[in-house]
Amino acid sequence: MADLAPRAAFAGLLHASAPPEGGIPGLVVSARPERQLAIAIARKGKRAELAQRLRQATGLALPEGPHRTTAGRMTALGTGPRSWLVMEEGGEPGLADRLAEALSPLAAVSDQSDGYAVLRLTGAHVRDVLAKGIALDLHPRAFGPGSAAVTNCAHLGVTLWQIDEAPTFELAVFRSYAGSLAHWLGESAAEFGLGVAAE
Amino acid sequence: MSHASQAAPLARDADGAGESRPRAGQPARLASGGLVDRTSTLHFTFDGRSLAGHPGDTLASALIANGVRLVGRSFKYHRPRGIFTAGPEEPNALVEIGTGARRTPNTKATTVELFDGLQAVSQNRWPSLRVDALAINQLGGPFLAAGFYYKTFMWPAAFWEKVYEPLIRRAAGLGGASGLPDPDLYEKSHAFCDVLVIGSGPAGLAAALAAGRAGARVILCEDDFALGGKLLAERREIDGRPGAHWARAAEAELAAMPEVTILRRCQVFGTYDDGVYGALERVADHVAAPRPGQPRQRLWRIVARACVNAMGAVERSIAFGGNDRPGVMTASAVRTYVNRFGVAPGRAVAVFTATDDGWRTAADLAAAGIGVAAVIDPRSGVAPALRASVGGARVLTGARVCDVRGGADGVRALEILHDGRRERIVADTLAVSGGWNPQVALATHKGAKPRWSEALQSFVPDAMPQGMRVAGAANGEMTLAACLAAGAARGEEAAAACGFTAAPAPAPRADDEPCGLVALWHVAESRSKAFVDLQNDVTAADVDLAHREGFRSVEHLKRYTTLGMATDQGKTSNVLGHAMMAALTAGGTDTVDMGRVGTTMARPPHLPVAIGAFAGHHRGKHFKPTRLSAAQVWAEGAGATFVETGLWLRAQWYPRPGETDWLASVSREVRTVREAVGFCDVSTLGKIDIQGADAGAFLDRVYVNTVSTLPVGKARYGLMLREDGFALDDGTTARLGPEHYLMSTTTANAARVMQHLEFCHQVLWPDLDVAMVSVTEQWSQFSVAGPRARDVMARLFGASDVSDASLPYMGCRATRLGGAPARVFRLSFSGELAYEIAVPARFGAALAEALAEAVAAHGGCPYGTEALGVMRIEKGHVAGNELNGQTTGRDLGLGRMMSKKKDYVGRVMAERPALVAPERPSLVGVRPVDPSQRLRAGSHFLRLGAEASVGNDEGYLTSVAFSPSLGGWIGLGFLASGPDRLGERIRAYDPVRGGDVVVEVVSPVFIDPEGSRLHG
Repeated sequence: MADLAPRAAFAGLLHASAPPEGGIPGLVVSARPERQLAIAIARKGKRAELAQRLRQATGLALPEGPHRTTAGRMTALGTGPRSWLVMEEGGEPGLADRLAEALSPLAAVSDQSDGYAVLRLTGAHVRDVLAKGIALDLHPRAFGPGSAAVTNCAHLGVTLWQIDEAPTFELAVFRSYAGSLAHWLGESAAEFGLGVAAE
Repeated sequence: MSHASQAAPLARDADGAGESRPRAGQPARLASGGLVDRTSTLHFTFDGRSLAGHPGDTLASALIANGVRLVGRSFKYHRPRGIFTAGPEEPNALVEIGTGARRTPNTKATTVELFDGLQAVSQNRWPSLRVDALAINQLGGPFLAAGFYYKTFMWPAAFWEKVYEPLIRRAAGLGGASGLPDPDLYEKSHAFCDVLVIGSGPAGLAAALAAGRAGARVILCEDDFALGGKLLAERREIDGRPGAHWARAAEAELAAMPEVTILRRCQVFGTYDDGVYGALERVADHVAAPRPGQPRQRLWRIVARACVNAMGAVERSIAFGGNDRPGVMTASAVRTYVNRFGVAPGRAVAVFTATDDGWRTAADLAAAGIGVAAVIDPRSGVAPALRASVGGARVLTGARVCDVRGGADGVRALEILHDGRRERIVADTLAVSGGWNPQVALATHKGAKPRWSEALQSFVPDAMPQGMRVAGAANGEMTLAACLAAGAARGEEAAAACGFTAAPAPAPRADDEPCGLVALWHVAESRSKAFVDLQNDVTAADVDLAHREGFRSVEHLKRYTTLGMATDQGKTSNVLGHAMMAALTAGGTDTVDMGRVGTTMARPPHLPVAIGAFAGHHRGKHFKPTRLSAAQVWAEGAGATFVETGLWLRAQWYPRPGETDWLASVSREVRTVREAVGFCDVSTLGKIDIQGADAGAFLDRVYVNTVSTLPVGKARYGLMLREDGFALDDGTTARLGPEHYLMSTTTANAARVMQHLEFCHQVLWPDLDVAMVSVTEQWSQFSVAGPRARDVMARLFGASDVSDASLPYMGCRATRLGGAPARVFRLSFSGELAYEIAVPARFGAALAEALAEAVAAHGGCPYGTEALGVMRIEKGHVAGNELNGQTTGRDLGLGRMMSKKKDYVGRVMAERPALVAPERPSLVGVRPVDPSQRLRAGSHFLRLGAEASVGNDEGYLTSVAFSPSLGGWIGLGFLASGPDRLGERIRAYDPVRGGDVVVEVVSPVFIDPEGSRLHG
């Protein structure tokens, strides 16, 4: 059997719109199809041990609560009382398998590299656009590069985190909702202009 | 804007040619003064007439500038009406704005910002505004009093809905919706702040400055397009300069603060729980059409830790005869038009005032050179300073206006009651000041009752919603100095409550003005109709009638007379009507206890909000999100017809050329699977990854059957119940490793099952070492079914991998497909030899394409949910129609699966006597005795010859299909004592669609009851 060709979740779904008054788009979006994601859930009573093991294996500090930690290409987001979304940018495939092995038997690890579709959002109006879908205070006094949130965006379940103070945010949505999210994003960003950047 | 320049002579109308006519086409525009830009002209139309105005005008001020007095017809009596106020409280001047799909009815001319090309049309008149046929309703006055339609149109009862109501609705009412799809975008947004300031009058600006200077995050919402509130409309000074200049400086300072957001054209319409406020920003209502991508309106949900409510107050009228004529206006509106917009509402303006404030209108008119016909004050004593302020105009104290004379053009003269006699005074405009009503709505939306203020003769806010403070006129602090001081103080307090300390700032200086008043509600000597609620045509006589008929509580008064129920929610009329009722209930004595009478409950929205704003982007097919499987793109290319299943779109069937209807396509797909092979996208089924040392024990507790005994590499069908013993969901669970299971659920119940499992773990058995997560979206999964399925699988995976030995029935294994990780399962829903293949979703479209090629090579085709449904009915497998929340495991024919050796969720309740009674309807198959007859799901079962009554009902048909394999319709259903009645003939009775078919009760498994095909 020949290799199957992968298709990115947002393929053909992101459409640029020109800023109505010229200039640079207020929001620039890029999809992150090569991101690897895995959900790690601490096994009963193993949280402390897991934190230690994760640091040894990846350098990542296990976030406490809805926060974000990074180490090199790796990122961890607190997504639940004992669950984390662990991500690797541009590494060898098989993050979930490697994590499962490294963290066994302290965590249940499931591959979500295809389960979530991830968008990176930046630009002068990124907060204005996100405010149209997300009922969270994203002001720098309330949310920053160390923050993460499992929330809703225009009725879609999303995970949101901030990368830097540019500001740049990333948004993960279940893959099947990519079209609905892209529609909301296109309409919400239109008044500022939407730029679509290559990854 | 200097005061001297405002005192220009009044513009003469068109025939008064000469030097004093400053603006062609705007006869009532003053030569100077106000906040309009006379160097620029905006063209607009009203009822097709071309008119001109200036930037800074509202539609109302521009109409006044053009000498337009008649603007609309009233709701019930079709009386001519003009412009009554200068703000959002306007009851009269409602117009339709825009044309075609953008036509917006019931728009207040007083809040419409004038733009070039604006088209406005009057409403509720026919054939024209000037000649309105239904004005005859006025003559029918006695029959059209409060509640008339309930009394008059009672018989015959059937006529109400078909005849009377449509007739009344056509005669009464306001503007009409366009009926066309709205071409504009609406959206919703969220905002957060420390201090929300509502209103940008002196109190609001002072509050925003105080909170902003303290460093708090401030949002300042102003309904108007300009900041300043009453400062724009008054000739008052702050710190020695005109109030409007001070407002401009305050605005500039606020705009320069990075943490202050100013939302203009933004009305806060509701106070909700926990410091949440609703607001509507009219982003592009002041232009002919929004820019591309720009929303027309934006609904804000503002979350504020603290709030300074500086909504201000609304001036109320007095009930006297003809007080609705065009040209009768609130006194504050008259001076707003003069001072802010530089227009003269009339040339001979009389002022009827029960307040000191009304005298300021007379003074401002005099200062602008507009003739003051008289100042009429019911009080006998008036301060000399007030008398001196009106520039020698005639002053009548101890006097009242009892009737207004005039026609459609408006006021021509007034009947004054003065020293016990009537006197006629010629005037073309009457400015009325009955007192000020603080805007208490936002402070009372959460249920608090406002308090009656004797000093103000109105209600003021009392108990506050969480985090709210009220400042200025909204709190009954009526003077400019008091507004500025209160605003600054509440702003500082609000910021301090959020942890921000204000730097000391010099307080702005303004002199206190006199603000005395006397309560005057109704001039009882009036001979003509005295209106209370102008928009709903409620008169003093209606309040009287409500009192006589016992509708005396203010809430009853409201419902009986419709007082305050119009789009203006009684902003100018409620307190007036309630005070009149209070006076009536007091029996003519002076001891009116308004605190006890109270006022009606205010509910959001404070001002009308278009439904489109609440919908935002979620219109049409975007009403709810759509979920698409990874193979959707392939299925579209293959020409599939799609069906909504929950939020998912699934391929329903794949029509081929020459197939004339869905049944032809579906039957061909079923035959192809039964005879060769087919494949189907089953990615939408829920998949839950369950891991942990106690995963098996956990599954044993949620399923009726035992799962923990499953060997690694095998799958088992399971049924789970709700706590009440009824079936919740079914599906297969595969064991991927010693501590690792993969559960599948139905598409419809995927989220519900996940929630159920999490509840069970977190609440019922937190001691279990188990972790679960949805992996539905990670995997794209396809069923490959049919006698040639193994050939197809071998083509993809190699023959040895899919032999019966290496992958037996109900086996599962992790493998690879090309470079991709894959899982294969030997599961069947169709009853054929079948497999399921799962790959990461990014490969879903490519796998669908590969499968299409592979099955085609073996004479197969893709099949959709409809063929899937036919085949599961042929096999007697239950699905959503049977798992309908009313059926138990026994009903479903799965009683034997229900373990007696272990406990599980729902076991005890499933044993309730009625649920285990043998006569309870349970699963059977049915076939029409006449094979040409069609079955319909939802039909009820009756014994042959039994009357079609509820008492004889023996069950119902849940699923039907045309079985191409059997050449006729078949069905599944629940029949009383069903399994004991195989071979019996009964009726499938469908009164809704007129169906009545004799059917034979058969086994629910129509095809291959031995299962020989499965093992192929």
